[in-house]
Amino acid sequence: MSFNHAEAGLVARVSHLTKSYGTGTSLVTALDDVSIGIRQGEFTAIMGPSGSGKSTLMHIMAGLDSPTTGRAWLGNTEITNLGDTELTVLRRRRIGFVFQSFNLVPTLDIRGNIHLPFELDGRTPSTTEKAWIADLVQSLGLGDRLAHRPHQLSGGQQQRVAIARALAARPDLVFADEPTGNLDSRTGREVLSLLAAASKDYGQSIAMVTHDPIAASYADRILFLADGRVVEERERSSAEDISRYMLGMEQNA
Amino acid sequence: MNSRSTARASDHRSSLIVTALSAAFGVALVQATSYMATMITADDAGSFATVQLMLSMVSGVFVVIAVYVGAIVTANTFATIIAGRTRTIALMRLIGSTASTQRRSIAREGLLIGLAGSFLGGVVGFAVAFVALRTAVIADAVPDLSYPVADLYLVLPLLCVVFATWASSWVGSRRVLSVTPIQATGTAQEASREETLTRPFRNAFAAIMFYGGLLLLAGGVALGLFSPFGFIVAFLGGIVSFTGFVTGAHVFMPPVLRLVGRLMGRSPSARMATENATRYPERSTRTTIGIVIGVTLITTFAVASEGFLSMLLGSPQDQPQNPEEVFEILYIVLGVFSALIGFSAIIAAFGMVNNLSLSVFQRTRELGLLRALGFTSRQVRGMIVAESAQMTVAAVGMGLLLGIVYGWAGAQSLLGQMNNGLVLVWPSVPWPLLAALVAGAAALTFGAAQVPVRRATSISPVLALSVD
Repeated sequence: MSFNHAEAGLVARVSHLTKSYGTGTSLVTALDDVSIGIRQGEFTAIMGPSGSGKSTLMHIMAGLDSPTTGRAWLGNTEITNLGDTELTVLRRRRIGFVFQSFNLVPTLDIRGNIHLPFELDGRTPSTTEKAWIADLVQSLGLGDRLAHRPHQLSGGQQQRVAIARALAARPDLVFADEPTGNLDSRTGREVLSLLAAASKDYGQSIAMVTHDPIAASYADRILFLADGRVVEERERSSAEDISRYMLGMEQNA
Repeated sequence: MNSRSTARASDHRSSLIVTALSAAFGVALVQATSYMATMITADDAGSFATVQLMLSMVSGVFVVIAVYVGAIVTANTFATIIAGRTRTIALMRLIGSTASTQRRSIAREGLLIGLAGSFLGGVVGFAVAFVALRTAVIADAVPDLSYPVADLYLVLPLLCVVFATWASSWVGSRRVLSVTPIQATGTAQEASREETLTRPFRNAFAAIMFYGGLLLLAGGVALGLFSPFGFIVAFLGGIVSFTGFVTGAHVFMPPVLRLVGRLMGRSPSARMATENATRYPERSTRTTIGIVIGVTLITTFAVASEGFLSMLLGSPQDQPQNPEEVFEILYIVLGVFSALIGFSAIIAAFGMVNNLSLSVFQRTRELGLLRALGFTSRQVRGMIVAESAQMTVAAVGMGLLLGIVYGWAGAQSLLGQMNNGLVLVWPSVPWPLLAALVAGAAALTFGAAQVPVRRATSISPVLALSVD
């Protein structure tokens, strides 16, 4: 395929993606012919109710799962035919993750957790990368926490560490899976502002999976999924508009 | 409920094996003892009871060693299991169960395992001894006498094993008391144990025992240059200092693990492995201490007897009439004794395999996270093998070091005043033993890593994203 994703301003793309589980009568289709692109440098929200296939879509785009049919690219790399080891190295170097349940390594202190992507890659950060990490730590307010262990931190602080870890290696794309799901609303808003700022200030591409209209309202662009299909695409919208659309979707179903 | 009870069955598989091994060993040894007593007293049936008592006292030492190591392994296995069950226990506490009820229910599991294990092991041990005897009789290696079918003494090791398993489940479940109901809710990260428990008293006690015991040992060696009583003092010093070492192993072992970890290289797998082993000093100590004890015992015995033999060889006036024959018998006796002591190392190896498996099982989510963040399955395998190697090397190395010191001190204090005094014995390490230990350690490293590696590499990275 000669389509150049970078020139088209896309950091990731999937084309005619289908994912189904089981066979015969127990066949479940999680994704049904989905084609989307994630734009370079933007904060994109992938919205949908539970069971809409948004998590499956994210897993495939992040190289954690493989589709039944269809293709997926990260930048100009097609990831659908990569082996496990190549996918792993790709995740390590080009993708960052922020999870709902934070997922810090409990045995490592905060510094160790932030340096984990480099540790896994078997290298130490370069001088520029060190400066960048110091910057991140500063702006996320983690400066006095570096020697602490995850369990000594509040949920919001743990999620900020996870964000620092995801951004540390400057990946092509950061996936955030319900990043505010385990946080109270005030802390949740802080985390969302931090993600939005990372995209705006540093040009970090972020794809966030969520079912929370407030979370989605922080994004530059919102993709709506329902029953495994993309049903709507919007530029930045208010939480009220998103809620109204979601409610309408539920009522039409 | 169903899934919980199956989890429990697999939790306890290794404790059951360890218990059964100890029981089988004990019963087989008691039976062998009574067979031997029958042979020795074939001409003089009246002295059977006396001979049997004496032999039993000797074999009793080996049974006690095996049960002791088995108990430590079981206590540590229980502690590891409970660390993994924290969430469930917290949930029960939340619903309204008291900590002591929870602990009693775990001790009851221990008692059941003790009963089941000693029954299974008892049957196996009895059968092994019986078959061995009959085979020997058929092969004409031993006379066909009227051997007792079962010896009454065999209830002793069985009772010992049941009690030891029950007691060690009680000791190992201490941690239940520190589980709070709040841990059932939310995403509370597990605080590592050294932060929740500071034990100044236990640490001080261990240090005093260890260093005091070493002083006593040194005193015994010095006294041994002039008096045969030196051996008794040194023996006492050895027991005291080793008890101190075992009590304070959570302080002594981590630096050793760290040192060995540094030798493992700088690859990401090795570095993560070092982090894992040293960040959870309690867990790694639990995993390794059984091996340390086993190797220390074997080495102590081997070094002491090697020293004894070379001393005999070196002193012409004590030469027996026909040295070859005497030495051959001595070597056979030493070989049998080593094998009997070595049994505790086998029990300890089971404990290590199990602890490593459990620790991987309990880190499922963390391993999934590492896979998601970019650890290849080859690197995960490398990490688990490196963890296993690190623990084995540290445990065997520590055991060798302690064993050489104790063994030499034993030989020196016993033989120092021979030939009118002031003899210095060099610590002589039997090379076959060293080779066997290195081979055993290598086999254990890869053997112990097999099951956890298979488990760890089959963990899907998607697991890390799921919410529990």
